[in-house]
Amino acid sequence: MKKFHVLTTAVAAAAFLAGCGGDDAGDQSPRVAFTQMVNFGDSLSDVGSYDVGAVALSGGGHFSINGVGATGLLYINWTEFLAATLKLTQPCAAETGLNTIQAVVGVPPVPATFHDTGATPCLNYAQGGSRVTLQPGPGNVALFNAADPTTYGDALGALTIPVHDQIQNYLTDVGPTFSPTTLVTVLAGANDVFVQTATVSAEVAAGVSQDTAVAGAVAAMTTAADDLANDVNTMILANGATHVVVVNIPDASLTPSAIASGASGQALTKSLVQTFNTELAAKLQAGPSLLLVDAFSASEDQATNKAQYGLTDVTTPVCTSSSSLLCTKNTLIAAVTPAASAAPATAANTYEYADGVHPTPYGYRLLSELVGEQMAIKGWL
Amino acid sequence: MKKQSIASALVATAALCGAGAVHAQAAGDVMVQLGWNKIMPKVKSSDLSAPSLPGSQINIKSASALFATLTYMVTDDISVEALGGLPYKHDIVGAGAVSGVGEIGTIHQISPTVLLQYRFLAADGPFRPYVGAGPTFAKFYGTQGSAALTAVTNPGGPATTIGGDTEWGASLQAGANYKIDKHWFVDASLIKTFISTKATLSTGQETKARLNPIAINASIGYTF
Repeated sequence: MKKFHVLTTAVAAAAFLAGCGGDDAGDQSPRVAFTQMVNFGDSLSDVGSYDVGAVALSGGGHFSINGVGATGLLYINWTEFLAATLKLTQPCAAETGLNTIQAVVGVPPVPATFHDTGATPCLNYAQGGSRVTLQPGPGNVALFNAADPTTYGDALGALTIPVHDQIQNYLTDVGPTFSPTTLVTVLAGANDVFVQTATVSAEVAAGVSQDTAVAGAVAAMTTAADDLANDVNTMILANGATHVVVVNIPDASLTPSAIASGASGQALTKSLVQTFNTELAAKLQAGPSLLLVDAFSASEDQATNKAQYGLTDVTTPVCTSSSSLLCTKNTLIAAVTPAASAAPATAANTYEYADGVHPTPYGYRLLSELVGEQMAIKGWL
Repeated sequence: MKKQSIASALVATAALCGAGAVHAQAAGDVMVQLGWNKIMPKVKSSDLSAPSLPGSQINIKSASALFATLTYMVTDDISVEALGGLPYKHDIVGAGAVSGVGEIGTIHQISPTVLLQYRFLAADGPFRPYVGAGPTFAKFYGTQGSAALTAVTNPGGPATTIGGDTEWGASLQAGANYKIDKHWFVDASLIKTFISTKATLSTGQETKARLNPIAINASIGYTF
């Protein structure tokens, strides 16, 4: 019976000694060993192009709730969340500056300066207000009109370097090619939508028929999408990039500012966004090097099924400042302002929007989760 | 009845070959088996609870490991078997909206099972098909997450881990053994287990998965 006893002991030991393992994080490195990230786009990817001069004085710089840890999250912009996920150094603005009108703002302008070379280059070229190809973008000093108080914000003097020029600046300063371990992200087009909706309003006010004005805007959005697809195809993919994430325009008709423009304004915004996204998807050169992320559908789902995303409010801006560029924890609506001034505004982490068009840090985090999910499906993460 | 006649033919053959007094699987006998078991979960998972990307589900892949059994013949036909083994390590992969993500983690499990069995044909015959049923206790532990799991649940934050779980389930078994000599025999069986588990992430979300695995095993046994 000795043998028998040994065997039963062995069975029992195998079955129960095994139950000692803990829960482990596992391998946290992405499947592709990225060495750097380069970002092109607009305010949705901007990590501080205007964090100088008057903006720096106000503690702003991101188009969201500014200040590290202001809402208890470690990062603000989706490119920052993504960099952390990919174990990359945090992105920083490739070009900074403000063409501030000192007479209006009371603070001097700051000359445009590049930071994309040297030992620790900053390779996030995205700038608030940037359009795909054309200047001026929203916030550009060229739009300032002393007779029109609605343009006074433009006196800050955003550079709004178009995405085409951003890519060219990378190719000139850092390139001429992209390395296979560089992740390139592109998110642009929303400012072209804003310019076109404003143009339609102005044209209609000037007596142009609604149909003619809208047709002109649709044509302009098609051109912008063609331009962006062409830039990605010929300046990024053709120059060696093998990991290019292009994010389409979220449904801007669901933003607080579009909602404020009324049903017809929302409908126009939505149709222009869809025109752009459809054309972009059609013209981008599909393949193993390109990942097109559908932020449009995700943003609609977030608005419809907000609880699924941990959101409670998808229509109220939490910043009291008109632009989130200047928004900090100290300029939030009462509902999300923490009782103790030292505490983070964690209540803001259930709100989608910081201002009329830009997400809260949590909203940006949701975008980084979407991009992360799609990168994982693509085999990059 | 065809099967039975084949079996009786085999018994007859064995007797003709002069195998002599064939050792029985008879009342009071104790048997041990050692073999290889492959567990193939048939997973149906719920969506990961909020906050999360919609439609995130999991699938749990097959795993194999060494296993052993200890069987006691209560009567000539009825036996009780305890089945246990080395831990199984399963890959957890994305499903639903995250189908194609590939491996998002791994999990270990042990699932000792006790089966009440009924054995057909003659106790001293060489071939004995059997059926069994009984409770299964499963312990899920030793999980590992991944960069992809963290990316979709807590980007930029601490790495997401998966919590273990313990569950009870029920198993049904069908198998057969064939005697090689007085002590040794070979055995194969199929076990269907009805069991679910719940994976809870360190970020708070959870997903329930109905596993209902089919296990297929082969082993070599010894009758004392």
